[in-house]
Amino acid sequence: MVHTITAAVLLLCSLLPACTGAEKNIAGSTVLVFKHGKIAGDPHLLRQLLDRFESENPGIKVRDETLPASTDEQHQFYVINLEGKSSDFDVLSMDVIWVPEFARAGWLRDLSHLLSGDERTDFFPGPIGAVTFKDRTFAIPWYIDAGLLYYRKDLLQKYGFPPPETWQELVRTAHSITGKETGLYGFIWQGKQYEGLVCNALEYFWSNGGDVFRDGDIALTRPENIQALRFMRDLIGTYKITPPLVTTAIEETTRHIFGNGRALFMRNWPYAWNIFEREDSTVKGKVGVSPLPSFGGKMSAATLGGWQLGVNRYSKNPEAAEVLITFLTSRESQKFSALTIGYKPARKSLYRDKELREKQPFIASLFDVFMSARSRPVSPYYMMMSQILQPELSAAVSGIKTPEEALRSADEQIGHIMRGINE
Amino acid sequence: MKRIGFPILLIAMAIYCSGPLLWQCITSLKPESELTRIPPIFPGDPTVNHYISIFEGYPFMRIILNSAIVSSATTLLSLVLGCLSAFGLSKLRVRHKAFILGFVLSVSMFPAIATVSPLHIIIRGLGLRDTWWALILTYTTFSLPLSIWILTNYFQQIPDEICLSARIDGCSPFQTFCRIMLPLSAPGIFTTAILVFIFSWNEFLFALTFTSTPASRTIPVAIALFPGLHEVPWGDIAAASVLVTLPLIFLVLTFQRRIIEGLTAGAVKG
Amino acid sequence: MNKTESGNWFVIPALILLSLVTVYPVLYVFSLSLQRRLLIFDISRFAGLDNYLFLLRDERFWNALKNTVYFSAVSVSLELILGFSIAMLLHRSFRFRGIFRGIVLVPWAVPTVVSARMWEWMYNTDFGILNHILGVKINWLGSPVWALYAAVFMDVWKTTPFVAILLTAGLQVIPQDLYQAAKVDGASGWAVFRRITLPLLKPVILIVLLFRTLDAFRVFDAVYVLTGGGPANTTETLSIYAYKVLFQTLQFGYGATLSVVVFLCVGSISVVCIKLLRRGIR
Repeated sequence: MVHTITAAVLLLCSLLPACTGAEKNIAGSTVLVFKHGKIAGDPHLLRQLLDRFESENPGIKVRDETLPASTDEQHQFYVINLEGKSSDFDVLSMDVIWVPEFARAGWLRDLSHLLSGDERTDFFPGPIGAVTFKDRTFAIPWYIDAGLLYYRKDLLQKYGFPPPETWQELVRTAHSITGKETGLYGFIWQGKQYEGLVCNALEYFWSNGGDVFRDGDIALTRPENIQALRFMRDLIGTYKITPPLVTTAIEETTRHIFGNGRALFMRNWPYAWNIFEREDSTVKGKVGVSPLPSFGGKMSAATLGGWQLGVNRYSKNPEAAEVLITFLTSRESQKFSALTIGYKPARKSLYRDKELREKQPFIASLFDVFMSARSRPVSPYYMMMSQILQPELSAAVSGIKTPEEALRSADEQIGHIMRGINE
Repeated sequence: MKRIGFPILLIAMAIYCSGPLLWQCITSLKPESELTRIPPIFPGDPTVNHYISIFEGYPFMRIILNSAIVSSATTLLSLVLGCLSAFGLSKLRVRHKAFILGFVLSVSMFPAIATVSPLHIIIRGLGLRDTWWALILTYTTFSLPLSIWILTNYFQQIPDEICLSARIDGCSPFQTFCRIMLPLSAPGIFTTAILVFIFSWNEFLFALTFTSTPASRTIPVAIALFPGLHEVPWGDIAAASVLVTLPLIFLVLTFQRRIIEGLTAGAVKG
Repeated sequence: MNKTESGNWFVIPALILLSLVTVYPVLYVFSLSLQRRLLIFDISRFAGLDNYLFLLRDERFWNALKNTVYFSAVSVSLELILGFSIAMLLHRSFRFRGIFRGIVLVPWAVPTVVSARMWEWMYNTDFGILNHILGVKINWLGSPVWALYAAVFMDVWKTTPFVAILLTAGLQVIPQDLYQAAKVDGASGWAVFRRITLPLLKPVILIVLLFRTLDAFRVFDAVYVLTGGGPANTTETLSIYAYKVLFQTLQFGYGATLSVVVFLCVGSISVVCIKLLRRGIR
């Protein structure tokens, strides 16, 4: 017995020298650590890009480290590390809604000097607005996303309907077609209690002329917002073109359903398109894409998404990090990413690029959507607002509360926070 | 009636316990296009692509090694410290025994999410970031309450006379511990070992926070890294879950025999 | 029972490790809970008991507490009953008993996140196997009525083996001659169970109850992956709320307060459990 214990202790001791973490400097060169969420698709493509960077910048090596795909987990990782003033990574990839928050908390390096006047205008206005805080720039847009309407163009053609431009048209079209085709949901979207629900809901609010704020004051209880939210609920309850399962659906859930040919309309981000056009896709060639509908006479609206690159304030190699960011957000790199990984560029000029338009004709049609994409409130307190909105919107969509109750409650709570800010 | 009842209950229990995992097995063999469709329940065109893809382009072997080492070391350390403490608490004089047990229990009372930040600071301060030791220390600490309580209870059930007679024979407390207590409490020790091992194997939050590269990453974190931002590769996840659970089941089956052996010995003495 | 030797040296190693690793975090959390720390508002100041007073008025906290209590109570009860049944089933000697014991551990062996994803997959309204077998189209995870039960059932499935294996080990230690003697005396099965099995199992039941309740009350990963706390916060447990406050809204002070409250709740429950069951031990 004693022998076993001794052996065990010796074994444990032998683990001591093991694995003391990676070195920060390989023979004199600077090592940058680039943290980002999992790359959709082949991770080698990003590595190729980084290798090109290393060859153009001898003396800098880049180690890219992936974080879990869940945006919550990425946010949590950054919060734990940045709050603990960690210098373990230099460049980070952020969701568009995190930048003001991180900037306010003092975790990001000021990058205003990286974007000259001309450069600024080359990027879409939405992302630029989202990375600017108190007139300083804290991140550079990497790639962009916005909500789109997907539809089965084969079915619309079969029954002689054009892609709907108003929500009422969409309801009528869906009613008509689902009455004639079996096993088809009318319209699916993301209704689970998470950030995606806020993205969806805002699209309805905005396309009805409503918004979260008005003249700087919280105005959730505006009639336009209430109407829009009621419409969302009615999709499930009254018009019944949206199945109740939408209250558990995130992007992937809806993508699967639509991809199996089980839905007529879907609201989702551009990424789904690439998947639908794959060889083994059931709906290959049958999918059309258009801007989201609006309420009669008003402007269509899409929620802005996308990811931005920033520099950790506690990084030990800020200059090198800035060089990396400049590289990754350059025209060439963004074009490469668009052609290979499928990330939609944040630079407007690329949408006129001949090669890109040839290889991905889909991209040209996205330009207008991205130009008019609207940001969720750009504020350090957005995450708080979102945490208040999510359960209220979920309650309204599931029918637990009426839209008025839900929005009134959210309005009160957010108002409370805003007062706390000004105190 | 009773004759048939028993096997039926057994089978029902087996299905209840292993059903979902079997379903994962089936899912892992389905080609991508069939994943989200029912019917068919069984893959029309079974494929091992998912199993191949989790090893391809990803150092899964290293990940499995990390998990194996961290879990084994944790179990060992937890058992050693746990057995020692349990022996002291159950067979020897220790002041404030109730207080100690309460303190030990209270370690498990904080939500993990609250302690992860300060612990992270400690780990970084010690320079243990992205090493096995960060996880081993953390897991041992958080598995000690369970170890100590289970083992203390187990040791208590072993009659004091046995230890007393050993002392009369001239054994020191430590010798009594090694030669008498440990062999007698084999069932309790193996039970604890299994629980601690599984706990370390499957722990996620601390593993996610304390590791950053495949150098020390463990399996649950690796699985969490599978999904793309919007794409969830259900097939790959299913394959990984099957692969990851099999070693545990194998381990358990092996230990099962030891438990039964130890039990028959214990029952005779008891 | 003369215990004259000091057991201090045996206990000290474990205590040292526990103290070293947990003292700083615990102090950190307690002190944070007394602060108002919101980096995004540029606030970091001592606030005394303000956070706790706010908590008492916080509706979302009470909702989370209610969900957590409900979840724990139902979960632990079901696990005890099921775990006990399984332990009794596996107590008898029969061929392949070892294999069945292995099978019983399967749910416990699956990583929590994997298990949650698996169940999310099975609960899917459209192509989930559950609806397929039952022939219905219930919106398990999206219905305010069903979501919490769905989470409970998943948790019960996952952690029943823990109960079963501990109770099995406990059952095996009961000396056979006690049962022989009872048989000779002509005692019925139920009487044997009540008078012999249960009392002798009380210590193990206490441990099971304690640790299961501790874990159920602090549940996070499983429910968060399954439902994210929705729909409409009907499955938001205390840990999920604390997580959102801490890591989503960066309210470090209030998040710490919530954690302390969880600690206090769990501590009280433990004290009650121990007092209740201690009467049965020795």
